Amino acid sequence: MTAMYGLFDKPDEAQRAYTGLKRAGIAPREIAVVSGEPFEAFEFSHRDHSMILFRLALLGGILGFLSAVALVRGTELAWPLVTAGMPIVAWWPNLVIIFEMTMLGAIVTTVVSLLVTAKLPRFKKSLYDPAVSEGKILVGVPAASDTIRDALTSNGASVVKTVEL
Amino acid sequence: MSEYAVQLTDDLLRPLLKTSWRFWTLVVLLLGVVALGLGAFAYQVDRGIGVWGLNWPVFWAFDITNFVFWIGISHAGTLISAILRLVNAEWRRPVTRCAEVITVFALIIGAMFPIVHLGRPWLFFWLMPYPSERQIWPNFRSPLVWDFFAISTYLTGSSLFLYLPTIPDFALVRDKTTGLRRRIYGILALGWTGTTKQWHRLESAMQIMAIAIVPVAVSVHTIVSFDFSMAPVPMWHSTVFGPYFVAGAIFSGIAALIIAMASLRKFLHLEKYLHPVHFENLGKLLLMMSLLWGYFVFAERLTTWYGNQGSEMTVFWQTQRLSFAPLYWTMVTVNFIIPVMILSFKRLRTITGCVVASFGVVLGMWLERFLIIVPALSHKYLPYSWGHYRPRAPEILLLIATFGAMVLFYVLFSKVVPIISIWEMKIGQHPQLAHEHETADQKAAMWRTHP
Amino acid sequence: MAVDLDTCTGCEACVVACHAENNIATAGPEEAARGRAMHWLRVERYWEGEFPDVKLKFRPVLCQQCDAAPCESVCPTYASHHTDEGLNAQVYNRCIGTRYCANACPYNVRFFNFFNPQWDKPLHLQFNPDVSIREVGVMEKCTFCVQRIKAAEVNADAEKRELKDGELKPACAQTCPATAIVFGDLNDPDSKVSQLWASGRGEKLLEDVGALPKIAYLKRAEA
Repeated sequence: MTAMYGLFDKPDEAQRAYTGLKRAGIAPREIAVVSGEPFEAFEFSHRDHSMILFRLALLGGILGFLSAVALVRGTELAWPLVTAGMPIVAWWPNLVIIFEMTMLGAIVTTVVSLLVTAKLPRFKKSLYDPAVSEGKILVGVPAASDTIRDALTSNGASVVKTVEL
Repeated sequence: MSEYAVQLTDDLLRPLLKTSWRFWTLVVLLLGVVALGLGAFAYQVDRGIGVWGLNWPVFWAFDITNFVFWIGISHAGTLISAILRLVNAEWRRPVTRCAEVITVFALIIGAMFPIVHLGRPWLFFWLMPYPSERQIWPNFRSPLVWDFFAISTYLTGSSLFLYLPTIPDFALVRDKTTGLRRRIYGILALGWTGTTKQWHRLESAMQIMAIAIVPVAVSVHTIVSFDFSMAPVPMWHSTVFGPYFVAGAIFSGIAALIIAMASLRKFLHLEKYLHPVHFENLGKLLLMMSLLWGYFVFAERLTTWYGNQGSEMTVFWQTQRLSFAPLYWTMVTVNFIIPVMILSFKRLRTITGCVVASFGVVLGMWLERFLIIVPALSHKYLPYSWGHYRPRAPEILLLIATFGAMVLFYVLFSKVVPIISIWEMKIGQHPQLAHEHETADQKAAMWRTHP
Repeated sequence: MAVDLDTCTGCEACVVACHAENNIATAGPEEAARGRAMHWLRVERYWEGEFPDVKLKFRPVLCQQCDAAPCESVCPTYASHHTDEGLNAQVYNRCIGTRYCANACPYNVRFFNFFNPQWDKPLHLQFNPDVSIREVGVMEKCTFCVQRIKAAEVNADAEKRELKDGELKPACAQTCPATAIVFGDLNDPDSKVSQLWASGRGEKLLEDVGALPKIAYLKRAEA
């Protein structure tokens, strides 16, 4: 499909373009804002805010906890060898293993969730311009029309391009 | 891009894009040192641990000293990177990646020693919990198995903690290179573009990782200290070991970080980004940790002395007055007296001052681990079984090789990855734009300056 | 086990018997000087007093087969564990040589194969076929001659009877010319060792450490 984007020098220009595109009837979900650093203070960043990673990390921790309990209890009961007069299922030492596996569960889940929700790795062509690495901010839409071009240029786009994705 | 950002990118990508003969010379030299260590290890696997200086009753010495030492050094990244991120300390920006790199590589080196010190190292995988054909699992009551879990978790966590913020920088390098380099960095960047969703998710993930990695780091060195405190050896079976070791680890980690940063600043010409104030701040932290270390040593020794138990006092006097006294008092001098003297005075808390203090601390912390292990093992309960220990060439070569390996890893890393986080430095120029504002007033204020 | 410190003469015949029975190599003078000698059973000697009023005390020290053995909980591979019969077992095949057990042992009765053991000819013809040879990197220690215990139990089973007290002796007990070492079943109140334990002369070595050792050292009568 054809996509159109503009490159901006400053984040407030990008914000104005974003607002302009919204007024022109484009759905916020369709407007991509791509930058070389995060600009959380601006409204265009807010639509993606969600606590999903935190919730998934908690879930990952719980899964880690449960697998650890199963591992230590299961294996200690499978081979009931007495050591140092300690009980076969010795909970105090087991707590150490349980703690570590809980944290590992949370950590690994966080990273996996990051990759999945941010759709990484992503190697197919997406709305991007190497000028972003030079500090420009890209605001683009997977559609092309004069309204879009106007919304971009009137808000300070230094250049507007059309690409095939 | 602002002028600052242009200069920043140039300076931080220069090591990646330009290589001099000095780099290659250094790498070859370091590879030689590491090869010597590998050769010593191969010799030991072939002939037996007998080629070391270990004996009855001193069954651990340099091997476990090195292990605890390097795991301790690995606590640099956590404190600086995670805690400073959590409290939003702006001065952390040029320092976080340097610190995280130390953590990952020190962990890798430290984690080699549980394998290297084994009598039958080819069977090290029996420490892993897997369904084996022998149908037996590890003994989860053993602190060594706790070590395996803790270090694996910490290594996984730290590596990911290091990797995640490099993704945007890999994307930057991808865009500035061509050919094979571009492809490799492209893969490492995972196709990152920088959409608002990607940024938000990345920063959420970093936040969670920072929160999670701190308790893991505390637990790792506590568990390493449990290798000692869980055994009824005089002066090992101490309840203070957990916090004592964690404090000591953070102490040695900050010292290693100061040395690494000073070296990077000098050899990569990063004077614009690593300012004297960064070293001053780290120097203040080092001072605080030195005082904390001194506090723990004093508390432990005073308690032992008041307890006046026969076997404990034997070990106590060995370090305080007898055969280990020279090493002990050297340790106290370089860990406490000299750092406190240098770092307490602003005029002395220069980059050079901090580096001098740090070298002393690195030496002192290695000595501390050695002095915990060997005097106690050589003087346990039955005097007939007391012994002594002298290191032999293979152990010394291994020790030197670990330092060579650390420097080698660091040099290679800074050759392929920007050693300071470029995107985070860019944010540092205008942090108020990067963070969501809480109150409507703050938002309004921000809109006023950036209409 | 009970060891009578009054009758023990410190002759160390038990040490030699242990080496012979359990295929323990000698380390040689160089390695012994480096502290690599492996005497599963050793006689510790302590001198008291100044010349000419010197007194000599000695005590055979061997694995105490502790009920709360600190060596067992620290072994990552269960190579050191407690059997149903109350022995501390050392499973050579599971040992990966971390040497943690040796550090944890308060009695220093655990030994490590720093090298592959060597026997000068013709000692290589004198191995006990019931005891495996340990390879480099593995821990070993006194087993109360578990091979003899197992052999006697198998015989008793085949004859469909219980083991008799005194029927089996570890090599040290068998060899001691002063019969200072007494081995038996502590669960049997009529066995000789149980009676010695109940005699009131018995003391444990390093009792305060709390490892619950199972050797009672019978006090010397004061001269």
